[in-house]
Amino acid sequence: MSEALTLTAGLLSSREYVEVRFGGSGGQGVILMGVILAVAGTRDRRHVVQTQSYGPEARGGYSRSDVVLANAPIDYPQVQGLDLLVALSAEAAAKYSDMLRRTGFLIFDSDEISSPPLVEATSYGIPFSRLAIETTGRTQTTNILALGAVAGLTGVVSVASLEKAVLSMVPKGTEEMNLNALRRGLSLTPEEWRRPSA
Amino acid sequence: MELWYTHLMRESIDQDSLLVQGNRACALGALDAGVRFFAGYPITPSSEIMEVMARELPAVGGVFMQMEDEIASICACIGASLTGEVSMTATSGPGFSLMQEAIGYAIMAEAPSVIVNVMRQGPSTGRPTTPSQGDVMQARWGTHGDHPAIVLAASNVADMYRLTIAAVRFAQRFRMPVILLADEIVGHMRESFSPEIAGRYRLTSGDFDFTETYTHPEMVREVHAPHELGTLIHPHVTGLIHDETGFPTNDPKKSEQFLRELHDKVVHHRDELCLYDVKNVGKGRVAVVAYGSCARSARAALKLAEQEGIPVEVLHLYTLFPLPVEIIQELARRVEFILIPELNLGQYAREVRRLAENWTTVVSMGRVDGNLITPRDIVDRLAELVGKYESS
Repeated sequence: MSEALTLTAGLLSSREYVEVRFGGSGGQGVILMGVILAVAGTRDRRHVVQTQSYGPEARGGYSRSDVVLANAPIDYPQVQGLDLLVALSAEAAAKYSDMLRRTGFLIFDSDEISSPPLVEATSYGIPFSRLAIETTGRTQTTNILALGAVAGLTGVVSVASLEKAVLSMVPKGTEEMNLNALRRGLSLTPEEWRRPSA
Repeated sequence: MELWYTHLMRESIDQDSLLVQGNRACALGALDAGVRFFAGYPITPSSEIMEVMARELPAVGGVFMQMEDEIASICACIGASLTGEVSMTATSGPGFSLMQEAIGYAIMAEAPSVIVNVMRQGPSTGRPTTPSQGDVMQARWGTHGDHPAIVLAASNVADMYRLTIAAVRFAQRFRMPVILLADEIVGHMRESFSPEIAGRYRLTSGDFDFTETYTHPEMVREVHAPHELGTLIHPHVTGLIHDETGFPTNDPKKSEQFLRELHDKVVHHRDELCLYDVKNVGKGRVAVVAYGSCARSARAALKLAEQEGIPVEVLHLYTLFPLPVEIIQELARRVEFILIPELNLGQYAREVRRLAENWTTVVSMGRVDGNLITPRDIVDRLAELVGKYESS
């Protein structure tokens, strides 16, 4: 069995306190990713807090969404380090990768980020937007496809909870398209997308 | 019996859990508490409260009005409360400033309403999406004249729900505007919690019961009888100092009596109004007094400090005003110093200092870069203070 496989299966789901950040620019659906993960985490019977930070602009500018999942009530609501960083822009990857723990995961959009930061954490580079267009024909499904990959590669939430969360959060009429994107993301294997770590 | 917290329960993810945004929880609390009139003007980071009220109020027979500005919003709320409704508005710092003149009128006219201020960094437009606790003293002293104030502060999503209910009950009981402070983090965060919290939740102090059947222990003399429109009693409502008939008076004796009664109705009920929670009572040489988001940092710091051998007592205040005088003074007598982390330059620390300085040292810890104070920041400061104390 490859090293990547032994590292990933169910790993984040077995940790008592998990800190996650989604980073990108306004309009990419980064905050929705955090909200969906929070709903899925709640379904998994975790205590969950989701916060966000964004600039005053409606489009463009930085945008990030943080989720803390824990087995006990959460006092401090923000992240203090990261077990999982999902970066959809080069700026987000560069700005937040210092917060990643060695035992954590970096997952980035390799179409957006040509020179990813070298981190000690387990790293995956995946062309999310290209895969989304191939799968559904719509770039708007990139965030859902990425969420599928995140859950598949790290086990941060269960697949069943994530599916239900996606269905409850996406606009009516887009359920099937988004489920296709989600499942495409879930089908990605660690061997194929693993990047070298520091 | 049908659940009275039906609006909250619609947010259920499943049987055992809810996931709600803070601002949304505030609106749901208002709806479950019986607020049926809302007037407001949108402003980040409070707008979601208004959005939920706009969507939900018509369905329960309520009235929602989007006004032209915050002055009109608070004035519409006062008008509604004169018909017997508990009215509500929500805003942020700049809008709260515009409301101040009318808040004085509402105190004078004894018109109950709830004003939610989800604080952003200021002054002026400031940073709209950045948390702050910069309006604490505006909430206390923003309006003119000698006046009482009831000011609550929410630290999490469940607080946004139940403190809104508390604010409604306090407004009804004391017939005055009640201010609920939150900050951008609490307003915008989504958080999971158990629906049990809504059913019955008791805070350490008093016997305030958050259920619908809650009735006032007694309708005390200090609270003036309402002058309500439509009750067939001819009402007279004025911002002038008035006597028990509602008509203006220039009588010095009556003026003084009236103003003192306005104060006394709040001060004499501090026990009921001061909601708080203490962790580690009497176990620490040092204490942290905190409210809002910073109280969460303080609770996390308590655990971290314990691991590092510094026992700490944490006083989490849900009511900022009326000042919890006795609670702070009791604490001051049993600890060597009090640290107050807050997202401003020491507004509440100043209040605590003047109550506590006869017995202990009060240290302010303010942060105004737009970030929360971390548990680490608090523990490092405590360690520094303990060290300083021991070496002196």
